[in-house]
Amino acid sequence: MIVEEENLKKIENYPYLSVEGLVTQFFTSGGIVKALDGVSFNIKKGEVMGLVGESGCGKSVTATSVMDLIPDPPGRIVKGKIIIDGFNIIGDINKLAKIKVKSEKNVIIKRNRKLIKRHNFILSKIRGRTISMIFQEPSLSLNPVMSVGKQIMEPILLHNRIEISNSIIRRETITKEQIRTFYTEALKIKDAMERRKYVNQWTNMFGVAESQDSILELFNSQASSDQIERDLENFLFGEIEGTNLRVIEKVRDYYKTQEELFKLHTTLLMAEENADSELIEKISMEIRNLQRKSNKELFGFKITYKFLRKRIDIPYVKEARRRALELLKLVNIAGAERVIDSYPHELSGGMQQRVMIAMALSSKPKILIADEPTTALDVTTQAQILELIKELKIVTGTSILFITHDLGVVAEMCDKIGIMYAGNLVEEAPVNDIFYNPKHPYTIGLLKSIPRSDVKRGDILESIPGSVPNLITPPSGCRFHPRCSFKMDICETNKPKLVELDDNKNQKVACFLFSREVESSE
Amino acid sequence: MELRYFVLRRVLLLIPTLAGLLILVFALFMSLPHSLLELSLFPGIPHNAALEEAQGAQILGLPYTLNGVYHPGLPLPLQFGKYVVRLFQGNWGYMTVPIYSGSVIGAITTFFPNTAQLVIIASILAIVISIPLGTFIGARPNTISDHVGRIFTFIGYAIPAFVLGTFLLAIFSKGGIIPIFPSANAFSASAIPNPPPSWMLSSGDLFITSPTHIVLVDSLLHGDLGLAWNTLMHTILPVLTLTYGLLAGIMRFIRAGMVDSARQEYVKTARSEGVPERIVIREHIRRNALIPTITVMGLIIASLLGGVVVVEEVFSYPGMGLLTVQAAVQTQVYGVLGTTLVFGLILVLANLIVDVIYALIDPRIRY
Repeated sequence: MIVEEENLKKIENYPYLSVEGLVTQFFTSGGIVKALDGVSFNIKKGEVMGLVGESGCGKSVTATSVMDLIPDPPGRIVKGKIIIDGFNIIGDINKLAKIKVKSEKNVIIKRNRKLIKRHNFILSKIRGRTISMIFQEPSLSLNPVMSVGKQIMEPILLHNRIEISNSIIRRETITKEQIRTFYTEALKIKDAMERRKYVNQWTNMFGVAESQDSILELFNSQASSDQIERDLENFLFGEIEGTNLRVIEKVRDYYKTQEELFKLHTTLLMAEENADSELIEKISMEIRNLQRKSNKELFGFKITYKFLRKRIDIPYVKEARRRALELLKLVNIAGAERVIDSYPHELSGGMQQRVMIAMALSSKPKILIADEPTTALDVTTQAQILELIKELKIVTGTSILFITHDLGVVAEMCDKIGIMYAGNLVEEAPVNDIFYNPKHPYTIGLLKSIPRSDVKRGDILESIPGSVPNLITPPSGCRFHPRCSFKMDICETNKPKLVELDDNKNQKVACFLFSREVESSE
Repeated sequence: MELRYFVLRRVLLLIPTLAGLLILVFALFMSLPHSLLELSLFPGIPHNAALEEAQGAQILGLPYTLNGVYHPGLPLPLQFGKYVVRLFQGNWGYMTVPIYSGSVIGAITTFFPNTAQLVIIASILAIVISIPLGTFIGARPNTISDHVGRIFTFIGYAIPAFVLGTFLLAIFSKGGIIPIFPSANAFSASAIPNPPPSWMLSSGDLFITSPTHIVLVDSLLHGDLGLAWNTLMHTILPVLTLTYGLLAGIMRFIRAGMVDSARQEYVKTARSEGVPERIVIREHIRRNALIPTITVMGLIIASLLGGVVVVEEVFSYPGMGLLTVQAAVQTQVYGVLGTTLVFGLILVLANLIVDVIYALIDPRIRY
């Protein structure tokens, strides 16, 4: 019993996203910008974490690093772990590129093209599917020459091919038997909502989701059950489009091999991380065999697919378009049928951001990174978008990393908050603790600089003296010490570690006022 | 406004544009010393006699009839007006140059197909080569392939067509190190069967083929592989010279556009959705990079027409360029006016096509 309970607890606390000691640097001609200096945090299932800090403190770099989208050159993740759903996506970070630092301004980076290719392949299967991102400036984040629908359909077509193929095959080969079981099962469910859910699921599985309303109508008609069953049969057999199933099967095979390759590569990467030479040998063999097999069996198909892609994709595009419309409706876009064919410049900022959210959610990701999603929007739209993200979080159970410099938004949205300063996480705690019991001098200063209603009119708004340091030559020790009013001698020489408070295990602070623990630096 | 209204407006704008062009060329010619002008119009006839006998050109026993096109006694605006009227009547005047003697319309129908052959092959080659190459180097800025590409394109940019053409001639034509290509004409006279087949109209040593008037296409259509091969060999060097300059220009622009659009946020979005790198480059980066490239295409076409004049001169290739140069050197008013008109028309139409393509590729553009 106890063991089971522990396991359950483990599952509940299982972090979807776990970042450990993340170091990201930018190698510029002016010197090395130490943008992130060992950032660590966890986000559990369904949790919303906010990252807050001044401009230039590394919030966006954290988000971009987690997606591994740091533009290279000039930037690179140098060290650390980004564990997404149990898999460290940068497990081979040291092998991808050898960084030789001769001096601040003279850094030689030797990239291993072959490994980078593999890395990109693995990430292309993770991004958009397990983790996706919403950006700050919706007007810049959508491709101006591509219609909105095409942009939403792109990730759908990339990540859901096997599922769509299966549903098409099921639709085309549907039998009387299947229809009967569906009908009797559906009749058993008396509750209208539950039945709706069941019909939705079934129609999705059989690729006729478009006509689920008509099917439900059939159920509700007054005819005898035999008549309904016959109508249903006629209706579903009428849905058969005579698609060439051999082609669909080939497409499915192609994407299945891709999927298998992805799984093998991730296992290989994990094996490499653990230096398990036996497993490495075995997996490499399997990868080679799979590639050889797919080259042999799918060679003709690959060539046909290259030239006839548009034709072969017609049934897929149809389904993807239906899903895109559904997504647009999900994010409360009025007139989705019209919007889907319009171009980004024809939409308002709020609409564009909704489209971005629809895109990010298209494959039901486990983690969503929102990088200041409301900063560029006006206040009413801001509220709508926040409301939308909150709603969607409840519906989809997605974990969210929410980045903003607006503490009000954070209080509204998040379960816990991380305060960042100059590339470090200086404090991490549940929302209430941050607002009512802030510990780190920087957090206190940040909170004091919000205009408040309980302060007398005419009082001067406090601010933290000084500004964010230049990260090419960051201050020694604790990076906040030049601006800190509690500065001690140790702050100049040593860097404090992010540790839990003695009286509150949920609150972590990196400050020598609370703990003498020093961050070990290699 | 709809696209067709835009096209209609632009076609109507053709009229003032071409009129301005003609007035300019006409004015330039009329400001030449009178004696020089008369001499070119009535070769061998003294200045005064020309004036006196202007209306009766036939009496002078010239090889062609002036047919009242030139009216030396009238004021200049009237002279120009009469020329324009004749233009619409299909009488574009006459010209005598070393490679041709006869009506200007005849000269254009004879020489234009040769130039079209050069320009079309060169443009197709340049586009087919430059887009993949530009994409390739644009996707890897500041790597070795980019540096090599940069050197390659800068040379193409910097080297004048006549220098490159002369070098190619010196190396690859008769008397050079590798004499594999012929050095002049659009095809060798010896390659034409004797007597000429029915699809070839000959007048002296000039030939007009039918149906397209482009020798390479027509000879292929009629299955005369020998002539086709001969024509191809004659076009290779001038085409290469033209292509290189054109290619370098387009490649630079694609590369710059790619580097610029690779930095844009929407590329990051595409990557964050898991779009494979290959498709990101092709569908997201390159499509946006092509927009500025198409914008400058109009300028590139203008430089191509300039290049054709030089290249044809260097390779003694009988086309519109050579015709224009010779007409100008011999101060043939109608020859220069006619060829300028054709060049102007092509340039304006090409720019119109570029603008239409621009509207098709960039949904933000609405006319």
